Amino acid sequence: MPASKSSVEVLEKIKKLVGQDDYLDSYEDRLCYSYDSTIEEAIPDAICFPGTPEEIAQILKWANEYRLPVIPRGSGTGLSGGSVPVRGGLVMVLSRLNRILEVNEEDFYAVLEPGVITQTLSDEIARRGLMYPPDPSSMKSSTMGGNVAENAGGLRGLKYGVTKDYIMGLEVVTPTGDIVQTGTRTVKTATGYNLTQLFVGSEGTLGVITKITVKLIPAPEHKESVLAIFADMGQAAQTVADIIKAGVVPATMEFLDHTTINAVEDYMPTGLPRQAGAILLIETDGVREAAVKEIGRVEEICRKNQAMKVQKAKDEAEREAIWTARRSALSALARVRPTTILEDATVPRSRVPDMVRGVREIAEKYSIPIGNFGHAGDGNLHPTILTDERDREEFARVEKAIEEIFDLALRLGGTISGEHGIGSTKARFMEREVGPSGVAAMKRIKDALDPNGILNPGKMFVEGGGHL
Amino acid sequence: MEFLNEQLEDIVRCMKCGNCMSACPVFAVTGREAMLARGRIQLLKAVMNGRLELTDGLRDVLFTCLNCDACSLSCPPGIRVDELMRAAKVELLRLGKPLPEAQERIRCGIERQSNPFDQPKGERGAWLPPELRQPKPAKYLLHAGCSISYASNRIGKAVIRILQKAGVDFTMMGDEELCCGDPYVRMGDLEKAEALRAMNKAAFRKYGVETVVTPCAGCYNAFKHSYGDSVKPMHIVQLFAELIEGGRLQFEKPFGKKVVYFDGCDIGRHSGCYDEPRQVLSSIPGLELAEMPSNRENAACCGGPLLGSHPDLARRIAAERVREAQARGAEVIAVACPTCLLNLKEGAQSAGIRMDIQDVTTIALRAAG
Repeated sequence: MPASKSSVEVLEKIKKLVGQDDYLDSYEDRLCYSYDSTIEEAIPDAICFPGTPEEIAQILKWANEYRLPVIPRGSGTGLSGGSVPVRGGLVMVLSRLNRILEVNEEDFYAVLEPGVITQTLSDEIARRGLMYPPDPSSMKSSTMGGNVAENAGGLRGLKYGVTKDYIMGLEVVTPTGDIVQTGTRTVKTATGYNLTQLFVGSEGTLGVITKITVKLIPAPEHKESVLAIFADMGQAAQTVADIIKAGVVPATMEFLDHTTINAVEDYMPTGLPRQAGAILLIETDGVREAAVKEIGRVEEICRKNQAMKVQKAKDEAEREAIWTARRSALSALARVRPTTILEDATVPRSRVPDMVRGVREIAEKYSIPIGNFGHAGDGNLHPTILTDERDREEFARVEKAIEEIFDLALRLGGTISGEHGIGSTKARFMEREVGPSGVAAMKRIKDALDPNGILNPGKMFVEGGGHL
Repeated sequence: MEFLNEQLEDIVRCMKCGNCMSACPVFAVTGREAMLARGRIQLLKAVMNGRLELTDGLRDVLFTCLNCDACSLSCPPGIRVDELMRAAKVELLRLGKPLPEAQERIRCGIERQSNPFDQPKGERGAWLPPELRQPKPAKYLLHAGCSISYASNRIGKAVIRILQKAGVDFTMMGDEELCCGDPYVRMGDLEKAEALRAMNKAAFRKYGVETVVTPCAGCYNAFKHSYGDSVKPMHIVQLFAELIEGGRLQFEKPFGKKVVYFDGCDIGRHSGCYDEPRQVLSSIPGLELAEMPSNRENAACCGGPLLGSHPDLARRIAAERVREAQARGAEVIAVACPTCLLNLKEGAQSAGIRMDIQDVTTIALRAAG
C-alpha cells in the first residue's frame, strides 16, 4: 500500500516518539515483518518497537487521527494470520515490554509484560515450585501477549485448561488510546463486566495488551508416562473415552495417526511399528501415589482395548524418549513435502474417531497426504496437510480439502479452531460456526471499542478475504 | 535470474514457525527479524520470487549471520541454514555484488599478506623461536593460524612448549605459513579459497606432512572439511588428550579454580570435538569443570565472527555468554579458539564483568609446570 502524505506524517511522529533505533522502514525490514507462521503475507508500511504503555497509547491516538492501521505483534509465530499486516500500516512489536514484574508465591500469581517468552515464564515459575500450565508447542518462541491474544492451548489442556483459564487480569491499551486495567489479583471477583475474558482471545483486534496477571498453581510432585500402540484408531479412541469414564484425567493424552507414525519413523527411527493405526502418549501427574495409581489404570485400559504394546516409562530418561516421539511429530511431517499446513479443527472427544476417519477420507478424495496428530483428550486434532505451494493445481485441492475439514468438524458438533484462532485465515468461515447473529454481536463490540477500525483490521470479520 | 537454484528446496521448506528464534544469538540481543534465520530465508525467497533485488540491505543482513548453525538444530523441516547462508554469499559474489567493507578489507589482506588482518607477511613468524621459523620435513605440522600468529601468540607459545616438553617431533611453516582459507569461504569467495588451499596442500606434500595440528578452531574446521584427504586434521586439544593418555603429558601443578569449558562453534557443532578439551581440563589437578547452560552440540555462539564487522553486536552477544558462565559460578572460562578468546574478553570488558578467560592450552601449560 503506497504511503499517503498523511501516513508519512504520522509515521514520522511515531518514529520520533519511539526513537529511530526502535523504528524500521527499509524494504528488507518490511518484508521481514510481512508474515507469521501461515502462508498469509502482506507488507507493512513500517515497524516500531514501543517501550511503554504510554507510548503505545500515544501511537494509537495518532493512528485514530490519521486512520493508520496498527498491527500488534509478539514473535509472529501465530497460526491464523493474526499479526500479518493485511491492510498495510504499522506493525507494533511488543518485544521491548519483556519483564516479569512480580511472582507472588503466597497468593499464587505473577505479573508480567506481554513480550515475555512463554518458556521463560514457565522456567521462572518452575524454579519456585509452581506451575504455569498452558504449554503451546511454540512456547520457546511465542510471547505471553501472543498467547493471551490467541487464547493459546497446548498439551495439558484437558486437565489444566488453556490460557484463558489462567488470566486473572490485564492492562490493555484500547484502540482509542486509553489504558485500562481489568481483572484482579484475587481468586474471585464479581466487579463489573468480565473484560479480562473479552480481551483474551481477541487476537489484537480489541486492544493491545501491556500487562498480564497470571494464575499459578502448585507444581505436581510426580509424573508418569505411558506409550500405547494400537492396530486401529478406533481402539485408541475408545481407550481415551474409557480412561475419562474411569475417572482418570491425565495431564496429557496425545495421539499420532498412521501417517504421522510413519513420518516419525522415517525421520528418527525409534522402532515404532509402521503398520500401527495409532499411538497414544499419556501422562499422569500429581501426588506420587495418585499419579502412579492413575497410570496403572491407564495401562489396564490400554490393554483392555487390545493395545499391541503398552510401555510405561521407568525413569526420567525413558519419559523423555516417549515424549520425543510426540515432539518430533511436526518436524517429521514437515520433512515429507515442501509446504506444511497445520490445521486445528476440534471436535468433542467422543467424535474423535469420526473426525480422524473423516479427515482420512478427505485426504483420499483430494489425493493429498494429511497426517493427523494432537490432543486426543480434548478432541483438538491437528490435521497437517503436506503439499507444495508452488503447485497451483494441487493447492486448489488443498483449499477445498481444508474447507471440507472445517465443515466436517462443525457437523460433528465441533469448532473450526481449537487453539490457533481465526485471524485472517479463518475469518470467512466464522459465520458457519457462530451464525450471522453471532458475528453481528461480535462486530458491535469491535465497533464500540474501535470506531475507526484501526486496530488489526482485516481480521475476524473479513468478507471472503485471506487465504486459508 | 539464476539464484540459489540448488538451495530452492531448502528455502521453500521454511515453515516460518520461528523455532530458530530460541536458538539465534544475534536475534537474542537485537530482537530483529532480519537478524534471524527465518527472516534471512524469507528475504532469499523474496529474491527468488522477484520481489527483492540483490540490495545492499539484503547483503548486509546475510553478513550479520554468525554461521553458528544453532538454528538448524531447532528447525523442524531440517533446513541446513548455515549451508544456505554460505551459498547465498557465494551467489552474491558470483552475480557481481561487492562485498561489505569489512569483508573487502579481509579479502585484500589475505591477498596481499596471506592473513585477514593485512599485517606484514614477513613478520608472521616473528614470534617463533628461530628453529621453528623455517619448515623441515616432519609428519606433524603445527599450524598456528593467522589469529595466533598476529594476535594471540601466547597460545602458540604455550603449544610449542608443551609439544617440545612431550617430545613430539613437529615442524611449522613459520614465515611461510599461509591463511587456511576459511575467511574466504565465509565471504563466499570459493575460488580464492581453493587457490589458497592448493598452495597449502602443496606445502604439506613438500614436507611430507601427514597430520596438521592447530590450536585455531577455525583452521581446524577448514582442514577437517575443506582439505579432503590431503592431511589428517587435529585440534591441539585432541593431540594433548592423546599425549595425556600416553603418559607423555602430565599435569603437576594444580589449577584450583572452577572452570567452565566453552564449546566454540568451529571446534564443537561444526566439527564434533567435545570430549577431548574436557578430558584435558579434567586431567588437571584441582580444576573443577563446570558446563555452560547450553553446551556441546547446543552451545550458543560467542559472537566472535562479527567482531570485525559489527563489534558492538559481537560484544553484546559475548557478554551474554559471560553472564551465563558467571551464573554457573565459573571463575574461568576455558576456550579452544582464539576468536572466542578475544571476543569473550571484549564482551566481559564491555559489560564490566570480571571473568578470567583463557585458552585450554595456556591453562595446560600452567599445570604442566
